Amino acid sequence: MRFFVSLLLTGFLTLSAGAAQAGAKSDDILDHHVLPGMGALAETTAALDAATRADCTADSAALRSAYGTAFDAWIAVSHLRFGPAETQARGFSLAFWPDTRGLTPKILRSLIAGEDPVVETAGEFATVSIAGRGFYALELLLYDPGIASLGDAAYRCALTRAVAGDIAATAADLSRDWQSNYAALMRAPGVGGPYQNDAEVLQEFFKALTTGLEINADLRLGRPMGQVGKPRPLRAEARRSGRSLHHVVVSLTALRDLAARLAAGEADLAARLDHGFDTALARAAKLDDPVFAGVATPQGWLRIEVLQQAIAAIRTEASQSLGPALGVAAGFNSLDGD
Amino acid sequence: MTSRRGFLVGMLATGLAPAATWAEAGAPDYLSAGQGADGTHALYGLTGDGAIRFRQPIPGRGHAAAAHPHRAHAVGFARRPGTFAFVLDCVTGRTVAEFSAPQGRHFYGHGVFSRDGSLLYTPENDYDAARGVIGVWDVAAGYRRLGEFASHGVGPHDIRLMPDGATLVIANGGIETHPDSGRAKLNIPVMQPNLVYLGLEGALRELVELPPALHMNSIRHLDLRGDGLVGFAMQWQGGQGALPPVLGTHHRGAAPRLLGAGSADQMNGYGGSVAFSGDGSLLAVSSPRGGRVQTFDVETGALAQSLAMEDVCGLGAAPGGFLLSSGTGRLARLDPAGETPVTRAPVRWDNHLVRFSGA
Repeated sequence: MRFFVSLLLTGFLTLSAGAAQAGAKSDDILDHHVLPGMGALAETTAALDAATRADCTADSAALRSAYGTAFDAWIAVSHLRFGPAETQARGFSLAFWPDTRGLTPKILRSLIAGEDPVVETAGEFATVSIAGRGFYALELLLYDPGIASLGDAAYRCALTRAVAGDIAATAADLSRDWQSNYAALMRAPGVGGPYQNDAEVLQEFFKALTTGLEINADLRLGRPMGQVGKPRPLRAEARRSGRSLHHVVVSLTALRDLAARLAAGEADLAARLDHGFDTALARAAKLDDPVFAGVATPQGWLRIEVLQQAIAAIRTEASQSLGPALGVAAGFNSLDGD
Repeated sequence: MTSRRGFLVGMLATGLAPAATWAEAGAPDYLSAGQGADGTHALYGLTGDGAIRFRQPIPGRGHAAAAHPHRAHAVGFARRPGTFAFVLDCVTGRTVAEFSAPQGRHFYGHGVFSRDGSLLYTPENDYDAARGVIGVWDVAAGYRRLGEFASHGVGPHDIRLMPDGATLVIANGGIETHPDSGRAKLNIPVMQPNLVYLGLEGALRELVELPPALHMNSIRHLDLRGDGLVGFAMQWQGGQGALPPVLGTHHRGAAPRLLGAGSADQMNGYGGSVAFSGDGSLLAVSSPRGGRVQTFDVETGALAQSLAMEDVCGLGAAPGGFLLSSGTGRLARLDPAGETPVTRAPVRWDNHLVRFSGA
């Protein structure tokens, strides 16, 4: 019985302590993490769209540079997958990954082979399966030797422009929704809105942090690692454009910013989290293995596993210390998801 | 069909004999996995009034169990992506056999016996092929793997034997996972859950899908009424905007019916367990994320009761209503008159209360 009394008591104490500063913290996260990130995404994807209009050839240096900048902007906000990113499946239409069944190349090949006129208007193109849209589809058009040379060049150009235009339009919608609608809902939680109180708003950001860490450890690293003795290097994210490790670094950098803002006012905790990110980013910097090709050798695999463990350690710290500090209820069943 | 001789040989070989039947005294009414105050996991035998009949430690977090139709044996499974299963004598609480999913497969935490108790069927993940399979196990031979057949979907979770004894109903949750990526969901934007009815050797009898707009509503847990009506609980993987119902019913050959459209917001898009009441007139669904249990009149589809309870998940039929369990250690009765607390124990009760239908 003592077990439950103490659980209830600590739950109550942290919840009331957290609630006092929750509004300020949420404002800080919105003003300095979410909204600037969404603004950058809208700007850089508009520039990507313009770059495809100027030169749609797959090996255009200007186009590839604009693509890299815009993709970075997406990765830096890709952990914010709730609310506006869920509306109209915007998150998935920007980023369909992992593609476990190879749907993206299948759809692109079919569009190119049939010279499907769906590329002619933005409205039509928005009806294409999300597996044929977004940054990962554009990566194949720019960097996959097979697809970048498939069929008619003029059609591929039109398709490249359609994908980039669709990315820019989706990103603009996403950013606008945050700026003109969803940020206000998070600043003023209450009955009838998506959040009942400030604690729930902070829980949403906390969940974004832990899920973001999970995606880096379990998907970005876990998929190419496969099982011991059975590595899967071809599963590395965005390997054709050489961005696999880079995405981990961009994402961890954004997650570090979010974690610091969530832990504000808890000096010890903030320092422990910061140290965790330092360790992980230092290991990533030393890796020198841009597409995780090293998983194919036992030594390379172990070096990537060391990075994975560093990310897992941040996750453990976040769930065990940051969650309780924010008053996040660790329900045995409610967090299970089974 | 297992011969009596083969049956006995198998039992002797694996130390399963002689086993008590459900009719013999001492068997509990329900099974539930749970985590004790010291953090260790166990499978518990519970009576309807909350008494703990046995506690059997297990190596990791449990999920659900399958009760043998005649003998007082139950099979407990690891939570996904676990690969261990163990057979308990529910009178003594002792483990009498253990077995594991074959190479390249893991369990989903559920299973069901054939009517004569000779075979066990287990939903499994053939993860390299991203397809669901139903494993078939020979009980008398000490849970020897006989084979498997397709579940006709991805992520088969709960499984039940229809009242005809010749048809399995399976909830294919639709979510692709792979042990390389832990519990991460790999195919949400293109997931396609379904409810399937299969013959005992895997022949597809009927496949039921929800309308395309609900393709992200993962059909996950099942309960059955004596007349073959299936109750199913769902877990929404889409946005938090407009939350769809988490509960439905299906009769073979008819269209599925969703319940609770008007009160779905309370359930937070997450149905944890589903159960018919003892008399079959009510259907209950729990939501640990919504901290709530709702019951519905099966005939009219109307919401009958809505009870708030922190981290509630386990549901089992009880005389006149339901037994509820929660991750905070509570057991409670729910009947048309309302909630009656039963016990509070230092155990975090896990997702499901399994009632012994053989009892």
